[in-house]
Amino acid sequence: MRLAGMAAKTASVIGIGQTDWPADHARVRAGQKPHDSYGYAAEAFVAALADAGISRADVDGLIVGPTVAYERVGELLGLDVRWGGQADAMLAVLEACMAINAGQAEVVALIYGNDQRSAAVNYGGADAQGGSAFLSYIYHAPWGFTSQGALYALMARRYMQERGMSEAELAEVAVAQRLAASRNPQALMRKPITVEDYLASPYICEPLHLFDYCLINDGGVALIIAEASKAKRIGRAPVPIHGIGRYDLNTGATSLEPRLTDFYQPAQQAVGEQVFSMASLGPSDMDALQIYDSFSLHIPLALEGYGYCKTGEAGKFMREHGISLARGLPVNTGGGHLSESYMQGWNHQIEAVRQVRGEAGERQVPECRHVHYSSDVAGKAVSIIYGQ
Amino acid sequence: MANSQRVLSLYDLPLWDSMERQKMALPRCSHCERFRYPPGPICAECSSMDYEWTEISGEGTILSWVVFHRQYFEDYPQPYNVIAVRLAEGPIVVSNLVGEEPQGSWIDRPVSITYRRHLDRTQHAFKLKAADTNS
Repeated sequence: MRLAGMAAKTASVIGIGQTDWPADHARVRAGQKPHDSYGYAAEAFVAALADAGISRADVDGLIVGPTVAYERVGELLGLDVRWGGQADAMLAVLEACMAINAGQAEVVALIYGNDQRSAAVNYGGADAQGGSAFLSYIYHAPWGFTSQGALYALMARRYMQERGMSEAELAEVAVAQRLAASRNPQALMRKPITVEDYLASPYICEPLHLFDYCLINDGGVALIIAEASKAKRIGRAPVPIHGIGRYDLNTGATSLEPRLTDFYQPAQQAVGEQVFSMASLGPSDMDALQIYDSFSLHIPLALEGYGYCKTGEAGKFMREHGISLARGLPVNTGGGHLSESYMQGWNHQIEAVRQVRGEAGERQVPECRHVHYSSDVAGKAVSIIYGQ
Repeated sequence: MANSQRVLSLYDLPLWDSMERQKMALPRCSHCERFRYPPGPICAECSSMDYEWTEISGEGTILSWVVFHRQYFEDYPQPYNVIAVRLAEGPIVVSNLVGEEPQGSWIDRPVSITYRRHLDRTQHAFKLKAADTNS
């Protein structure tokens, strides 16, 4: 099945930017409010423009993250554009690629800012964020069931028994990503941990431990994506997008059917066919993975879903082969949401670009030619392959 | 911290009324007999908009379970369990296990429905089937 209409490498990332996450976090924890979501978005945009070496006038498309209003961002930044939109990190990249392929824009700015920590945003409880988009986030509250973490805990418990994965094997995710973070000056949590530390950490929603949960912090991220030939003319170090893919499991979403019966695997398999076919590449060509990790469980799900290991062997794969910078297939090389920064998938995009550029410093994956980004938020599977 | 709240869409109101009467009912498609949960206006299987509220048997098996060790709601001090139950009629519902808890894994344990008062509402809970607790 090849339904993807877009040709590979027709759009390239030419600029990336971020706010100083550790500095933002330190100031927020000290009781200050460095910026609101718009301020973080603006700071990241200015950094991305500088990284690309282009001027604001080159931008003719704008897409903003879900935490800010589209028009207000454009107004603040003085961006009048011929194409625009609003989306989460992964869909923003997909939509920018599609706009470029449709000739609707040549240079798209993708901009995200989030003051979720300083604004005390809750992801569980009576004011849980996201219920208007995902009914499952609020529907089961009368039985005390709340928070995305609990949704993944329920999924994890069944997955552990059905597919065979121990808590110590799941610990490999948190341990590997903390090792990556220890080599990343922009990561918030840099002290290495062991499997024993993980097992000794408290449960939040059992069977998930504290270390299975993402951080909550303020910050911003921006990317500039340009049409590939234009990218070569104006860009400093263009990173082409080799493939994109998406498949959404909506049926039974609120009653948790796709989570608890198939662990989202059918969606990932459908996306895998699409994205690897578009890129003319396969899992064995990937030098690193970036996996949306609001919770650690996303990692074994993606490893099985995309065929990096056999179904039922993710636990063993993580324990024996490894998923860290030290051994095996490196996953979330900046530390991910668990240890670097919770930028809701945006930090994974710029980490992928840095790895392909060879600009990841101490955490650089040697000869990193292709990076696969995957997310499966609420059964919406998305993939992007960045490469040289 | 606030109390837990129900989602009360147009289609949820009869469900909560049925639990108040301790006879939980779900909309069953008049065309293909598929049960809808959460209740809704159309059958996801056959697109029929016709349905009848039909009392469920109350029988099911546990698909998965968690234990909360953090408090999110005023009315749910930790620790407390939450279970996902596959109803005999097909849908998965999220609920609580009351009474005796199984030794070892809870998955695949047969359960049957019961009802409990919680705040100003009556809602379902499940208990292990007798044969299982005696073993």
